[in-house]
Amino acid sequence: MRSRAFQGLPAFFWTEVLVQANELTAMATSMVIQGVVLVFVWILDPSLLGIAFCGALIFSMFTMGQRLLNEAAYIRIDHKANDLYLASPLSPEGYFLGMAGGILLVYIAPVIVMGILAEIVVRFTLAEVGLLLAVCFSVWISSASIGYTFSTFFRDNRAIWAYASLFFTTFGVVFPVFYPLTSFPASLQPIALLLPPSAAASLVQAAIGAIPVVPSRVVFGAVALAAETLALFGFAVYWARRTVREG
Amino acid sequence: MSAEPLRSRDLRKVYETRGAPATTALGGVSLEVHRGERVALLGRNGAGKTTFLKIASTLLRPTSGTIEIFGHDADRNPDLARPLIAVVPQEGKPFFHLSPYEQVYTYLRARGFPRDLAKARTREALEKMGLTDIQDRLAITLSGGQRQRTMVATVIATEAPLLFLDEPTIGMDPFARRAVWDALRELTRRGSTMLLTTHYLDEAEALSDRLYIIDRGRVLVQGTAEELKASVGGTLKVTLAKGAGRRELFESFGECVVDGGSCTVIVPPERLGELMAIAVREHLTATVGPVTLEEAFLRFVGRSINEDDT
Ligand SMILES: Nc1ncnc2c1ncn2[C@@H]1O[C@H](COP(=O)(O)OP(=O)(O)O)[C@@H](O)[C@H]1O
Ligand SMILES: [Mg+2]
Repeated sequence: MRSRAFQGLPAFFWTEVLVQANELTAMATSMVIQGVVLVFVWILDPSLLGIAFCGALIFSMFTMGQRLLNEAAYIRIDHKANDLYLASPLSPEGYFLGMAGGILLVYIAPVIVMGILAEIVVRFTLAEVGLLLAVCFSVWISSASIGYTFSTFFRDNRAIWAYASLFFTTFGVVFPVFYPLTSFPASLQPIALLLPPSAAASLVQAAIGAIPVVPSRVVFGAVALAAETLALFGFAVYWARRTVREG
Repeated sequence: MSAEPLRSRDLRKVYETRGAPATTALGGVSLEVHRGERVALLGRNGAGKTTFLKIASTLLRPTSGTIEIFGHDADRNPDLARPLIAVVPQEGKPFFHLSPYEQVYTYLRARGFPRDLAKARTREALEKMGLTDIQDRLAITLSGGQRQRTMVATVIATEAPLLFLDEPTIGMDPFARRAVWDALRELTRRGSTMLLTTHYLDEAEALSDRLYIIDRGRVLVQGTAEELKASVGGTLKVTLAKGAGRRELFESFGECVVDGGSCTVIVPPERLGELMAIAVREHLTATVGPVTLEEAFLRFVGRSINEDDT
């Protein structure tokens, strides 16, 4: 009778889709930061619009983790959803990934619109589309893993707002996601290549010819992104199981 | 599943909070719930009821002691215990953007129920909780009591072998509370077992086969409602209006509990005539009623408080 790994994931995924689908305004406002950046770039230097669009797509996947952080903490603290759902045969990793997937499905709609606009501006090759999808997936997995893990540390929703926006703005906006890696201070570039959103952006920037292809840099960024995605995901699953119980 | 649904031995929980003194929420609780029983945990706010339920439902680790759910150690093998239980958490809320129907149905699906069974159970549970008429309204538009009924419907629909209900009827009207009682009684007839907490002593009396009164993390007494009531020294409660100032008249009947200007004594039926004779002689208005669980509760917990104060 022990619950299987990922048991209940599809059902909790649909639960979360239903829960999230009622927030149409939030779907639209999920694109505000990206929209503002794109408008500024368009006015100031339209030649960077391709890079900015790719950054907007990656940033959108990155902030899915922030949404998951808020949602997981909110339903645990305010609704006592953990007590209801985790003292049950539903697996903790099914709960975590179901919630992440439900949020993804609902909030992916405006990202697809953004993707179509990016295609009009950049004219991707098929290989570039493949790369973009792969890095977006990695960024989503890593940020969802970080978001869920962080959510377990809070006892108060209000504390989350401040920390979460600081974290996601720093790594998604200050670091080179919307602009070329080469414009970032050279000494700090290795750090940018170690962080999933900026590593993902650098790979796409190299692929579309926006920055020079430096093999060592590409390999470093790709390996870091892949390894971190796996490690963060593995840790989040472990952590989700472990934090079913407090104390 | 031949073992007892629940058995705890010397369960202790000490909360260590940074910057605050440690709190001993449970100071060694041993209790048992037998198959098919409805057992209530009674106690003041902060007595440790929720802490016990959280440990029993595998959501909190004990500091020491053991607790078994159908023979599975809830601390070491929570994965084996979880499929057998369902919890109405204290102050839980349904998802605001789901309707009661969606809430119950998706919960059953997440627990692995096949579609048809989940649909049938959802309809049945909503019907029992009187939610059928509003089953398609988003929970955000429901009243507090209706939301709480949705939470109870969600959990009873599982018909899990062991149910934990932490103040399940809080905020419900008297009709809704009785609907919960009926639903819980029916579930135990079908083989479920339950442990619940409540501050409504009439509810504890109407619903539970056995009760544990706990205070500051310790079991003070356990027994059936009848046994607890019998231990207070009589089955009748006589309230004497304006009797507070004349307490000395009733000294031979035991403790006289003062409330405002009145005073209440508990007597066995054979001494009622004697007491009424005094009341008539002294022109005091007396009201006679049965002893309820409330008297037993006040007496046991009050005695424990006094002992600790002295
Ligand atoms: N997370 C916690 N951290 C520290 N102390 C706690 C925590 N939860 C409960 N307590 C304390 O433990 C005691 C028992 O609480 P609880 O089990 O919630 O009581 P009840 O449900 O009987 O009202 C109380 O003194 C409460 O303040
Ligand atoms: Mg409580």
